[in-house]
Amino acid sequence: MIIRINGSERQFTRDEWPASVAQLLDYLQIDQATVVAEIDGQIVQRKEFSNTSLAEGQSIELIRFVGGG
Amino acid sequence: MIDDQRVSMAALVIAGKEFTSRLFIGTGKYASNAVMAESIRASGTQMVTVALRRVDIENKNDDMLAAIDLTKYQLLPNTSGARDAAEAIRLARLARAASQINWIKLEVTPDPYYLLPDGTETLKAAEILVKDGFVVLPYIHADPILAKRLQEVGCATVMPLASPIGSNQGLRMKDSIAIIIEQAMVPVVVDAGLGAPSHAAQAMEMGADAVLVNTAIAAAADPVQMAAAFKQAVWAGRLAYEAGMAPKSTAAIASSPLTGFLRDEKE
Repeated sequence: MIIRINGSERQFTRDEWPASVAQLLDYLQIDQATVVAEIDGQIVQRKEFSNTSLAEGQSIELIRFVGGG
Repeated sequence: MIDDQRVSMAALVIAGKEFTSRLFIGTGKYASNAVMAESIRASGTQMVTVALRRVDIENKNDDMLAAIDLTKYQLLPNTSGARDAAEAIRLARLARAASQINWIKLEVTPDPYYLLPDGTETLKAAEILVKDGFVVLPYIHADPILAKRLQEVGCATVMPLASPIGSNQGLRMKDSIAIIIEQAMVPVVVDAGLGAPSHAAQAMEMGADAVLVNTAIAAAADPVQMAAAFKQAVWAGRLAYEAGMAPKSTAAIASSPLTGFLRDEKE
């Protein structure tokens, strides 16, 4: 099963498939508190991470703050 | 910094929030988060800008916000990287979701070489973002008419550039910025291109309400000391503005009395 994460395709087996955005972040070892997610152009609020499920073929953007002027 | 209790700088208010420092700091280009944090502290600032980027999946522990005490500083996310209004709006909404903060430094820069802001797209985005509940601080070319339009749609400040971003050329847009300041109904923040503390002081002497500095501090040999230098320059420039500058004249006006005992001046 394939999902696009930050522009790159990522393959998961059926067993690995993350049930939610929160599980995907756990799988990638990314701290939820610092991240914002967008699925197919729609923002997912942080409080919705654990009850937002993922579907085959979706494109997900994981974004956070960096230094900038 | 100054002993005399009589000497104090008026506070700046943006969208109902009071700032006692008139120096805003960008957080890009620092060699490390530690140097950035120490420079922020040395600058005395109360507002720092940040940008949004994709999480680096291979290097996830790059969270710079951990280095900034968010109880002390107003976070001002920017829309850097946006090339049109739609991209800027998307970034602004992502920034709000990421930070739960509705302040946004709106910047739309379609040309990567000079990074000059697109006034048309900026105005379009500003109007939508204000209606969407954002406190909008737009980065603009020093265009007094555009500044007026942005105020009319409800922007909290206008932020004209002194010279191109990161160029350290100083107040190249001085005359136009003076017109913006003269006409402004909202605070004017001079942003981009201020390369030396003297540039910042000059902007403040002209009556700018604040300045935003990044590269001049972050790329200095000693950023912490440079941050301290900018702090004093901004303070000095603002005090001078509030003190009221003495008038200029073409001819000399003697500081010492000329009449006296050396010779009798004939009428």
